Amino acid sequence: MPSGALLFQSVILGLLLGGLYALLAAGLTLYFGIMRVVMIAHSAFLILAAYLAWWSHSRLGIDPLLSLLVTVPLFFACGVLLQRLLLARLRPATMTMMSVLLTFAIAVCVEGLLGYVFTGTQRRIQLGYGSASFEVLGARVAVVKLIAFGLAAVSLLALYLLMKRTTFGWALRATIQHRDAARLVGIDTDRVAGFGFGLGLATAAVGGTALSLDTTIYPSLHWHWIGPLMAIIVVGGLGSVPGAAAAAMVLGLLQSLLQIPLGTTWAQTVFYIALFATLAFRPQGFFGGRLAQRF
Amino acid sequence: MATSRTKRTRWATALGATMALALGACGGDDGGPSGGGTDEPIVVGISLPLTGDFSEPGKGVQRGYEAWAKITNDKGGLLGRKVELKILDDQSNADRVVSDYEQLIGQDQVDIVVGPFSTRLVVPAARVAEEYGMLFVEPAGAAEEVFQQGFKNLFYAAPAVANDHYNHLAEYLLALPADQRPKTAAYAAMDDPFAQGTAYGLKEKLEAGGVRTVVDEVYPPNTTDFSSIAAKIAASKADIVVGGSQYQDGVNLIVALQQLNYQPKLAAFSTAPTNPEFAAAIGNKTEGILAPTGYTQDAKYPSNVEFVEKYTAQFGSPPEEDEANAYTTGQVVAAAITAVGCAEQGECQKKLIDWVRSNTVETVVGPLSWDETGKPKGAHMIQQWVKGEIQIVLPEDAKEADFVYPKPAW
Repeated sequence: MPSGALLFQSVILGLLLGGLYALLAAGLTLYFGIMRVVMIAHSAFLILAAYLAWWSHSRLGIDPLLSLLVTVPLFFACGVLLQRLLLARLRPATMTMMSVLLTFAIAVCVEGLLGYVFTGTQRRIQLGYGSASFEVLGARVAVVKLIAFGLAAVSLLALYLLMKRTTFGWALRATIQHRDAARLVGIDTDRVAGFGFGLGLATAAVGGTALSLDTTIYPSLHWHWIGPLMAIIVVGGLGSVPGAAAAAMVLGLLQSLLQIPLGTTWAQTVFYIALFATLAFRPQGFFGGRLAQRF
Repeated sequence: MATSRTKRTRWATALGATMALALGACGGDDGGPSGGGTDEPIVVGISLPLTGDFSEPGKGVQRGYEAWAKITNDKGGLLGRKVELKILDDQSNADRVVSDYEQLIGQDQVDIVVGPFSTRLVVPAARVAEEYGMLFVEPAGAAEEVFQQGFKNLFYAAPAVANDHYNHLAEYLLALPADQRPKTAAYAAMDDPFAQGTAYGLKEKLEAGGVRTVVDEVYPPNTTDFSSIAAKIAASKADIVVGGSQYQDGVNLIVALQQLNYQPKLAAFSTAPTNPEFAAAIGNKTEGILAPTGYTQDAKYPSNVEFVEKYTAQFGSPPEEDEANAYTTGQVVAAAITAVGCAEQGECQKKLIDWVRSNTVETVVGPLSWDETGKPKGAHMIQQWVKGEIQIVLPEDAKEADFVYPKPAW
């Protein structure tokens, strides 16, 4: 029987992990909401951002957080271009299916390029405060994990405010909810979809930087992430950002707690079990509406 | 149309089979003609992972072999013949390894084959070499399972197999007075035969000596988040922690343990702490961390002094363990060739195998000899981080510094 201290420690770790999942899943669910696109390459861009953070720290001596100033606008632009030049050209009727193939190809390209430029060696940012931590009610909280969680929380909040309080956000949500109706009231849905896609990819930039603070990265790591992230957005309700965030927190917490009795290997299955259960009993997801009618 | 194609296929199969038989027959009673020309170089066939998952260590092994060929040739070669390496890239793929060695032995008619890198690839490669009756000295198959296959031709060119790496440490700990001896231990090992072997070798010995196991975790090779494993170890408050690690996983686990402020009396990790980048990777909080090591550049064996000097001249930096193991492999093969006086396929290989089995070879990692299964009869030295430097602390007769136990806080 695990001790109370271990349980509490695992809850803390699970929450910190869940925050990161939430940010990453938010971007992924956004693409689906906007264009019914399954973006397999999301986590490849995540790793790309992590590599850029690592590179700027180890080669240029810049704190990885500062690399965000470059990567976020860069990824936003990348996302807009990706949507306008590639995804918008797919036929709407086969969009979901073909987008899997297209973004799969993009993921493989990104992975290949990373391997070519940085080799397959595992990398980790060597921060002076990498092993620093402080105590909260008997549990230890690592500074780097807290920073990663903070980044995720701030970005999610910013995303939420953007979607709720700005005209662009309204247009984006309208596009997600009903594209044709949005066009009827004068929204340039193509433009909005492009920016929405850029926004999604920008979350990958923030997520990748957060990720790079406390884990090892290698080019093929993105395959390790895409499965759990896909599961999270389905459990959360495809297209629903708050749903994805809630599902991410719950599943991150569950994964962390299940590692106590099951070990690292089997605890990963929680995502897939949740995915099967959702598809079998509640295909519209547990937290959001069907295809994000509600946001 | 259909019938004619079937016929043709059958005809081709028959032809292929006949040719294979003919080739096999040639290989069997050969020996004489190909080994006749004494001016021809001795061709050494190797398959290495130069691309893919194991490309980094694979290239290290390649450098080791290249250094061996160069140093040997600079001294006039073996039996008056130059040594020539023929290296194929197996792309870290076990299927490629088999066809590579078949090509090297069957088609390219190399005189000698030596091993690839990584335990996973050693077993299939050794099987091919055995089918052709070739001597197979290898630099990387350290896991127990390699020696359970019943190979008659395989020899591991390093001081000890994975399970014996910590033997000196186990002896030391169990010889401590009862009140100082550790009572509980936590183990975390990568799901990999080599990494697991090191940790479980020590676990077996300590359990037999009465040290209770309180955590026993196995993680997949791709694990990047060690916080949960670290949380379990920290919560168990085990006296000692043992990591069956490669490189990056060891670093990650140590950082995760430090984040939880876990302070064991002893921390032993395989491979990672001997890496030159280790101290920087964990923010220089290395105090007291232990690692078994099969090779150090400081070892005073005569051939090692020469190896380090000439290797550094050739490649610009001193050799690491992968390079040294490959070089050792070359040394073992060279000693056998020189003693037996031949190097070609056929009868000669049997003589080479018999010679290696019954002799001791002086190498850069010290004198090596092998048991019936090809397992080396030795143990690894134990190194410890003392005052910001990694130094040999065990065994007694080789030590550069005193073993610090219990270790200071990290």
